[in-house]
Amino acid sequence: MQATTKPLRFLWSLSSVGDKLRRTRSMTAMSGLPPMAEHVDFCRQAEHCGIDALLMAFGFTRPDPVAYSVALGARTQKIRFLVAVRSGICAPTYFVQQINTLSALTDGRVCINIVVGRAPDELRYYGDFLTHDERYERTDEFWRICHELWRGEGPVTFTGRHYRVEDARVNTPFVSDTATRPQIYLGGASAQASELATRHADCWLTFPDTPERLAPKIRPMLDSGKEVGLLVTLISRPSRADAIAAAHALVADAGEQARAVHGTNHGRSDSVGYAAAYERAAHEPSWPTPYLWTGAVPYLGPPGISLVGSPEDIVGAIAEYQSIGISQFLFMGHPDLEQMTFFGKEILPLVREREQAEVAS
Amino acid sequence: MSATTRRMRFHWSLPSTGVADARKGSHPRAEIDPVGDLDRQREFCQHAEELGIDALLLPIGFQRADPTVLATAYGLATSRIKFMTASRPAVISPTHFVQQVNTVSAFTNGRVEINVVSGQGSQELRYYGDFSTHDERYQRTDEFWTICHALWRREFPVNYQGKFISVEGARVNQRYVGPDSHRPYVYIGGSSDTARELAIKHADCLLRLAEPPDELAPKIEPALAAGIEVGIIVNQISAPTHDEAVALAQWLADNAGERGKATQAEWRAATADSVGFSSIYRMAEDRAHWLTPYLWTGLVPYMGPPSISLVGSVEEIEEAIFEYRRIGVTQFLFQARQDSSTLDLFGSTILPRIRRREEREPLVLAGASEGS
Repeated sequence: MQATTKPLRFLWSLSSVGDKLRRTRSMTAMSGLPPMAEHVDFCRQAEHCGIDALLMAFGFTRPDPVAYSVALGARTQKIRFLVAVRSGICAPTYFVQQINTLSALTDGRVCINIVVGRAPDELRYYGDFLTHDERYERTDEFWRICHELWRGEGPVTFTGRHYRVEDARVNTPFVSDTATRPQIYLGGASAQASELATRHADCWLTFPDTPERLAPKIRPMLDSGKEVGLLVTLISRPSRADAIAAAHALVADAGEQARAVHGTNHGRSDSVGYAAAYERAAHEPSWPTPYLWTGAVPYLGPPGISLVGSPEDIVGAIAEYQSIGISQFLFMGHPDLEQMTFFGKEILPLVREREQAEVAS
Repeated sequence: MSATTRRMRFHWSLPSTGVADARKGSHPRAEIDPVGDLDRQREFCQHAEELGIDALLLPIGFQRADPTVLATAYGLATSRIKFMTASRPAVISPTHFVQQVNTVSAFTNGRVEINVVSGQGSQELRYYGDFSTHDERYQRTDEFWTICHALWRREFPVNYQGKFISVEGARVNQRYVGPDSHRPYVYIGGSSDTARELAIKHADCLLRLAEPPDELAPKIEPALAAGIEVGIIVNQISAPTHDEAVALAQWLADNAGERGKATQAEWRAATADSVGFSSIYRMAEDRAHWLTPYLWTGLVPYMGPPSISLVGSVEEIEEAIFEYRRIGVTQFLFQARQDSSTLDLFGSTILPRIRRREEREPLVLAGASEGS
């Protein structure tokens, strides 16, 4: 059994809050306008529920996550913003300058989710024409420059295949009481993604599988001193039967149109993690464990892999994942606000109680 | 064909820090902490808004905090004033840029304007990975803005293949949110012919460093003929009386001291490929410091080309501004040494006089045609 001293951390995805039909519509039909008031309420509720950070996703259907974090940061106190970033859309020096400015405006309430990009056609919207492997190489160069700038050991000179900077410096510091740079998350199932996480990130994010199958996959990451987090949908209700009914209702609501959209998204993606999740969902039983359900994947994509059950079931599931070394959870819910509120009220206190008991023993 | 009138617009450059800094421009730039006093900067924005300033320039540079991020924060803390965020095309994808600007517009109800700068010094541009030459930079700026305008016109999918930037199938779902436009107002700064052509093609206003009106007039004529506005960038040294203003100007030069000269020597070398900067440095060297009774280059050796100054009493500054209006200049981007006191005098005394005079002597445009 893994001895974990760090308290578990729970994050939530803000990106689809207020969008009941998320991932079931064609992406070009989304307005991209942020529902500001609703999201501010959600942020405040997240603070109240003990959520550590909110994921601010990146994509052409969405507002810019950096500017959006400034706006939400101005109206909140504690919550941190997990800002998604792709290399290939801005210069690393400029990125560090933007993030540091954001940190100064929010007292360091910013962390980063590195995304390498999974739909090549969308990447080309942004002028990015590289292949999957080239993107990893470029992302590596991008983060080498960023980390050097954050270490602040003088002007940075770097010559790579994709980036070249000379004597780079940024006067704006990363402003935080506890760190000289943001905490960095990275998701991705390919060998390059793990390698990149080992080099540059603090926490590797992955889709859930059964603890038995996941344990050997995350072992090298844990051994290299990184945390591992699960990106997962939470479907919890007062009883297990209610939770399962909610899971099935979710799929019924999404309907055949969503299935068609996901057929298209699946075809557009060159992501290893997405491909594996679609495959598993298509060919394996939809309940790999009593609490893990893949039945929503054909409708909602791999982020639809779900933890399903009563509060006690979920506490048990979290404990099982914790025992193999998972220390962070990035949740989505349907609907998010209600599910997060339920989590904060009915599940998180039990999780903390159990953590306390273990520390005591 | 209907005659419309145009009010002049007055902008201020947001001081990076040390709002009362009398020696701005004479410090080594690597020593500036741009986020040391964000509260004071925010208050400056709110005060400028109260005084009727139209827009605040948020400059871009390694010594600064990021202008787009700051515009979001200060936009939320104000309600009327606009933010002119400086943009360099080499540091960001045009699609991402449009997405960021549209996001800021949504939080500020369209109170974001863009000041396109191609960069004065190649040394600093290399910090950001930009190793291109002066002419290449302008070509890239042209490509960048061709894509941005297509995205703002929502000509989706946008396909463009340039020498520096290509996009395929580009779209941005979030619209630009503003009361009267589908895109931000665009300024392009620069004194070279290339900059002027770029402004005519992509901008609403060409911004240039101040020169004597009779020398400036022929240089801006093509931009005015093409239907875009022209603005000047100038430092302001104003005081209740002429003698006080001149004394203040002299004090600023004396106070800058030799350290400022050394910093400027370095900066001059670093910005050698900027046409506008070079010509102002030369003007300050080769000619008497008083280019006209109110346009003075005495600070330039200490604080650089942006410190070319309008100096004078309340009446003289007003008169100078109307002299520029006579040659077609309708926008003024000010900065000052000791910003707060100058801003106060301008906003509370000079600006109301200007507005009253505009009522009496409106600037009439025959068959006004707006830029692209």
